[in-house]
Amino acid sequence: MPHERHEHEPLTSSDQELVLSSLERDQLAAAKKQPIPRRKLRGFEKFIFWSLRIYVLFMIAVVLYQVLAGAR
Amino acid sequence: MGSGKRIPTSLASPADSTMEFGETEASEASSATPPASPLTTDVVITHEDIDRAHDRERVFLARARRGIFSRFRLLWLLVGPGILVMLGENDGPSMLSYATTGSQFGIGFFIPFVVLTFFMAVVVQEMTVRLGSATHRGHAELIFDRFGPFWGWFSLVDLGIGNFLTLITEFIAIRAGLGFFGVPPWIAILGALAVLYLALVTHRYWTWERISLAAAAFNLVFIPVAFLARPDWSSVGHALMTWRPLPGGLTKSTLLILLADIGATVTPWMLFFQQSATVDKGLTKRDVRFGRIDTALGAALAATAAVATILATAPLFIHHMSAEHFQAAEFAQALEPLVGRFGAALFALGMVEAGMVACITISTSSAYAFGEVAHQPHSLNLPLRQGKSFYLVLFLCAAAAGAIVLIPGLPLVYVVLVVNVIAVLAMPPALVFLFMLANDREIMGDLVTPPLVNVLASSVVIFLTVAGILFGISVVAPNIFAFIGGK
Repeated sequence: MPHERHEHEPLTSSDQELVLSSLERDQLAAAKKQPIPRRKLRGFEKFIFWSLRIYVLFMIAVVLYQVLAGAR
Repeated sequence: MGSGKRIPTSLASPADSTMEFGETEASEASSATPPASPLTTDVVITHEDIDRAHDRERVFLARARRGIFSRFRLLWLLVGPGILVMLGENDGPSMLSYATTGSQFGIGFFIPFVVLTFFMAVVVQEMTVRLGSATHRGHAELIFDRFGPFWGWFSLVDLGIGNFLTLITEFIAIRAGLGFFGVPPWIAILGALAVLYLALVTHRYWTWERISLAAAAFNLVFIPVAFLARPDWSSVGHALMTWRPLPGGLTKSTLLILLADIGATVTPWMLFFQQSATVDKGLTKRDVRFGRIDTALGAALAATAAVATILATAPLFIHHMSAEHFQAAEFAQALEPLVGRFGAALFALGMVEAGMVACITISTSSAYAFGEVAHQPHSLNLPLRQGKSFYLVLFLCAAAAGAIVLIPGLPLVYVVLVVNVIAVLAMPPALVFLFMLANDREIMGDLVTPPLVNVLASSVVIFLTVAGILFGISVVAPNIFAFIGGK
């Protein structure tokens, strides 16, 4: 059975030891608040992103048009 | 971080090794203990961390023991996200797609084809296992951080809209499946929301995962229905070996079913869900191999259920019963003379399960993504008070989708069609983000996609992207495929 912890149960020193020995440092909830550095997109990558974005927006506009046309 | 506690401490990270299944006890025991390379810092520990640490402690203990039983226990502890995502994707619309395939084409080309699509799903989903294990970050969070908020918001809006609309179709499946047993729609929707709520109130990832897995196991009810349909097993073997017959050849409708079956196998929510669940479960680089087994096992189970659904509805093809526009309950009713009342009831129950499990996983993927982007706590280990926004997003998404299904006179068949289209439209950009992240050495380190796997992965991504684009075009402009067979 997994350990079930009550919401208001205080943290104990054994809890602290357990967390520090069982989790990697970047697995801690607090560590995840640190953003991962942004990467610089190359020209070809930007081209792919924009092409796919235009495709999605265009196709969704066509779907919406069909929905509205169907509703009429 | 209200109940978090700041502790000045010497923090040591557990081993970051890539040891695999079947290593010796001595080497495992030594790496099960964190190395003594302390990093002095202030650490904030939360209840979420403690719950996850308890789960990891059980993994360490199982890993430190020798013997086949311990190996299976380790596997039992580490499986979950892969099986859930694959059986979750066998959702209401997907099962309807497989049922339609069986009723229109019988036993033949589509049996091996569906198996192939699940193989492609494994290739794609395996990347999310590596991403989650290497970075300990969710998919939405990584897209925002690495590519910036501009592309991140596009991705999130795609996911949010797609997920919400897909949730509507899951409630349609639940409503239709329970409708077979005479359950009124409002009771069906309220019942589904109650199950979702019960899984959440444990506020424990492990418990939630096991409840969801138990529910997902019911996806296999399509297997006994297939046996009740008494398929010709030699035809099944022949189809698997030769990819034939394909009744009518390659026509426009064949192509549409083909693309719909591809679209039923990989959708954007799966990428977001499995990576976030991998992180929430606490998997590390050492667990990647088990994550792969989990994903492959899930795909095998889901492919079996999908093929079983095709076999179950194949008699409708043999008896020339048109089932092109059937919904869940209509399929069950049509099958009743062929598989009996029990078989038809199982089919309807399968549809309910398909909708229910997808409802759980899809709403969870929305909540994870929201929390990751809004920098709000996002974990199924969060106590209700600390995870208020996470649980609210999760439950309200589902409740709103359920409420829409109860609107009288809503053209549900039309809604399912539009939802499928939008889900498939959003797939190509999601796959490109995934592929780029999995090849990003800065964040992946030694888990970056290897060159040989990259060839396979890029082929699958290109194939799925082209298929997604073709499917999108085929639905919005169906006549464009008229040149194929002219039908």
